Amino acid sequence: MSSENESGAESSTAGNAFSDAEDFVTFTIAGQLFGIPVLKVQDVLAAYNITRIPLAPPEIAGSLNLRGRIVTAMDVRLRLGLPPKEEKGSMSIVAEHDGELYSLMVDSVGEVLALKADDYERNPPTLDPKFRDYSDGIYRLDGKLLVVLDVNRLLDYDRDQAA
Amino acid sequence: MDDLLSEFLTETNESLAELDVELVQLEQNPNDQELLGNIFRLMHTIKGTCGFLGLPRLESVAHAGENVLGKVRDGEMEVTPETVTVILESIDQIRSLLEQLEATEAEPEGDDSDLIARLNAFADGGGAPAAAEEAAPAAEAPAETPAEAPAEAAGGDVSLDELEAAFANAKGPEELAAEAAAKETEAAAEAAPAEEAEAAAEPDAEPAPAEPKAEKAAAPAPAKPKAAQEKKAAEPKKEGSVANQSLRVNVDVLENLMTMVSELVLTRNQLLQILRSQSESEFAAPLQRLNHVVSELQEGVMATRMQPIGNAWAKLPRIIRDLAHELDKKIDLVMKGAETELDRQVLELIKDPLTHMVRNSADHGLETPADRLAAGKPEVGSVILNAFHEGGHIIIEISDDGKGLSCEKLKQKCIENGLASEADLETMTEQQIQQFIFKAGFSTAAAVTSVSGRGVGMDVVRTNIEKIGGTIELTSVEGRGTKFVIKIPLTLAIVSALIVECASERFAIPQLSVVELVRASAHTEHTIERINDTPVLRLRNRLLPLVNLRDLLKLGTGEEEAVVEGLIEHDETAASEEEAPAAEAAEAKPAAVDEEEPPAVESKDEEEVFIVVAQIGNYSMGIIVDRVFDTEEIVVKPVAPILRDIQLFSGNTILGDGSVVMILDPNGIAATTGEISVAEGGEDAVKDRHHVSSSDTVAMLVFRAVDDTPKSVPLGLVARLEEIDLARVESSNGQYVVQYRGQLMPLVLMDNGQDLATEGRQPVLVFSDRNRTMGLVVKEIVDIVEDKMNVELSTDRPGYIGTAVIGERATDIIDASYYLTQAFHDWFAADRATTDDESGSRRLLLVDDSPFFRNMLQPLLSASGYDVVCAESADAAMELCDAGEEFDVIISDIEMPGMNGFEFAKKVTTDSRWSETPIVALSAFSNPADLERGRAAGFSDYVAKTDRDALLTTLHDTLSELRGAA
Repeated sequence: MSSENESGAESSTAGNAFSDAEDFVTFTIAGQLFGIPVLKVQDVLAAYNITRIPLAPPEIAGSLNLRGRIVTAMDVRLRLGLPPKEEKGSMSIVAEHDGELYSLMVDSVGEVLALKADDYERNPPTLDPKFRDYSDGIYRLDGKLLVVLDVNRLLDYDRDQAA
Repeated sequence: MDDLLSEFLTETNESLAELDVELVQLEQNPNDQELLGNIFRLMHTIKGTCGFLGLPRLESVAHAGENVLGKVRDGEMEVTPETVTVILESIDQIRSLLEQLEATEAEPEGDDSDLIARLNAFADGGGAPAAAEEAAPAAEAPAETPAEAPAEAAGGDVSLDELEAAFANAKGPEELAAEAAAKETEAAAEAAPAEEAEAAAEPDAEPAPAEPKAEKAAAPAPAKPKAAQEKKAAEPKKEGSVANQSLRVNVDVLENLMTMVSELVLTRNQLLQILRSQSESEFAAPLQRLNHVVSELQEGVMATRMQPIGNAWAKLPRIIRDLAHELDKKIDLVMKGAETELDRQVLELIKDPLTHMVRNSADHGLETPADRLAAGKPEVGSVILNAFHEGGHIIIEISDDGKGLSCEKLKQKCIENGLASEADLETMTEQQIQQFIFKAGFSTAAAVTSVSGRGVGMDVVRTNIEKIGGTIELTSVEGRGTKFVIKIPLTLAIVSALIVECASERFAIPQLSVVELVRASAHTEHTIERINDTPVLRLRNRLLPLVNLRDLLKLGTGEEEAVVEGLIEHDETAASEEEAPAAEAAEAKPAAVDEEEPPAVESKDEEEVFIVVAQIGNYSMGIIVDRVFDTEEIVVKPVAPILRDIQLFSGNTILGDGSVVMILDPNGIAATTGEISVAEGGEDAVKDRHHVSSSDTVAMLVFRAVDDTPKSVPLGLVARLEEIDLARVESSNGQYVVQYRGQLMPLVLMDNGQDLATEGRQPVLVFSDRNRTMGLVVKEIVDIVEDKMNVELSTDRPGYIGTAVIGERATDIIDASYYLTQAFHDWFAADRATTDDESGSRRLLLVDDSPFFRNMLQPLLSASGYDVVCAESADAAMELCDAGEEFDVIISDIEMPGMNGFEFAKKVTTDSRWSETPIVALSAFSNPADLERGRAAGFSDYVAKTDRDALLTTLHDTLSELRGAA
């Protein structure tokens, strides 16, 4: 549970007077605001030509060619157990996991926010298990809440199988 | 040149160069012990290697040099310029000897006693000035000048070679080269007089160092050849020496280079793709040029990664020797084609599997000398490794002449390990069963070694080989040996792949496994036929099992993923455009494609499809695709870990047009389609045997019934063909009957559920045996065809034996016995059939007086993989016995004219060569008393005639027991 430690470490840093803010790339899926630490994000893409991969898990939308590298596209909606989106066109956030690039398809990508550790909170225990699994905690923003998505856990299928 | 020798030359030359430098350093820092130690070690290594290679002259010089160095190291001598000089002298001598060695591949004749004497004197005298003084001036000239000159020459050689090669046509460099050459000539010229002065003392030392320069000088700068010419005449030398031509490069650098080249190739492909879509472009010419250069570059870089396969075999002789000792066997390891080159990466990956397989062959495959002699084989068993190139692949064969794989033991093992049920195994051919050794879990215990004879870790071997896109096939004949054939691509980085399309998605299939392409449509000679919805294709008189890529990949109804598909569609259109210019219109409005595509796809399924005939090991199959594009060089990239579980893909790649495609893995496809049948297509060996022993053509009656697939039955089984008036058909006891020749003849329909029409006439096949007859109602009698009956696809459908190609069409062979029992449940009660079957390792003798049963059982047993020999009576069977025939099992009827089954069994078991051969009784009765009587007579088992499954199971069990006991 390295991520657990991570978040634990984060919160302890948060306790420090320094409390330097962390930058997050924000995006929305089904109206919910999410964030990924900006350092994890390699790229943000608009709609891209995607090659479907037969027999792949449903959330794997396919693969695409990003400047000569093959990137696996994952529909985060489906990964989070949300219903598939109806309208076309979505944006993607490219992140690296284990030396492989993944493109996380989301509804729309927003701005980059610097979030203060003071506003950080652990996942409420009542959160949907899928969300709890892939979320690293919650930030309280003005008027809305931001869910921090843990990219590693989101993309770690081995853990899924082990579980 | 011998690999060992050239390696030695390279290495020693490197050491010498290092020595040169270090000795000079030592001269400056005489007290650097570390340096001294290193120098000593280098010299010692040279000496040792020379001794090892049997180069006494070199060794003695090196030894003398080492002596001096030893004294210095031990502190008995000071490091003085004289010391260094004399050692350098020995090094130069070594170098000159090496050069001659390289030119002639033999140590030159001659004598270094003078040099050695001086070195020894120097060593003994502890660097005594008297000796040194005498030697030094003399030595100085030859020693120092050549010492510098070769160093310079070495530098010059490289630059010259490179310059010449690289800038062959450029003017500037040529001048430079000439200059450099001229300089060298001067050096040579300088050296020459000095050498001459010393010539008497060291006849060999001088010419060599001087020569390369002389020659080179002769070529680019003919102006100054004179000084050198006299020397050069002695022995002509190749310009670039091996030592200078090889260069040690870190593997990572090469790997990196390869990756870059791969990317370059991809980019080139993209450019070419663009170019193709533009009819006229000013880029055409430069791109063509780029294309060629890149191809050459690719080849060049590939060449740097090539290594002879012999490197992977180096350890084998030792392993075999040790094994032979340990196991008390006599083993002859033959290695052919060791010089065959393949990619380093591939080499690394197959090294262990190869070693493993060779060890297996020697350990489990070969018998002990005693057993071999007993089997009539030479005492010394051989394991043969053979490697050669074929197409873009390298083939490695590993064969032994040992005991081969025992099918029965394999079967037992399969059942024990739960890999297959007994029933499954029954229907498998020997080849199919042999494939089990590649199954994971086949060999879990050490006991396997002694039981099955082979198989420890073969699954790993296969996995490793398949990982690099290779295939492995196995052929084994019990008692004669086993042969593995490994086929692997030359390189992993770039493969040639066929691009195909299915349901608007493109996929790449590695060329390695593609044998041919067939276009199938209703209008060509190739039509896809269906057996119970399973598509097959008749290809050159063989049935080729087909898989539909669309079904395999579950692409059938992909429309709902329109979001994604819509994105691709545009791309697809662009790609297909070149193939079909007609698509141009569609391309203009991509939206239209979405609607047009699905119907087109559907009709394609029926009308025109392409079949990619792939061969995986022994197994051929056809993959149905919608469209075939051209082949493309692709760089295989591994798929994301999330997708690794999908067996059907071996990787993905980026095509010339920039789109990503998945690479299909034919091995995976074979595996998912029931790889157990892996041997099905390729059992040529088995087939041939069939052909020899039992493949005489049989007259087959071809008819139609139920569906459109032709049905067939051996004509011999059919008594008469009749047409009956349906009006005369009556119903009795729930069964259709007709009065026929004064008897009631039951009528059987192939499709039970159907009712007979009430009027008109219908053809009927009349089966008759003894005094009973039965009619099989068919739709239409088509033909009588004389053909070989090779059941290619077995089936579990009741009433069918399998499918064969008869008269060039896929035909269901019906199981007449099934319909007979439908008419008369006790049909077989009155019967006796003895068949005699012969199938290499599973020869079976069938003894039955009734031709009907012989005719019926023979195909049935053949279909189950037995080689059947028939005897029409017990007496005939005994004649076969006397004639020296051997069988694995005998099936005998009980009631026969003349000698009956019981007597026959008694005779066989008590009083014949066949006393060890199990006999299975075929009988209509199976009450306990009969069983008892049968056992007393010597039958090992009892089977009811009507029960085909029981018969096969019993045969299998009997044979297993036999094998188990053996």
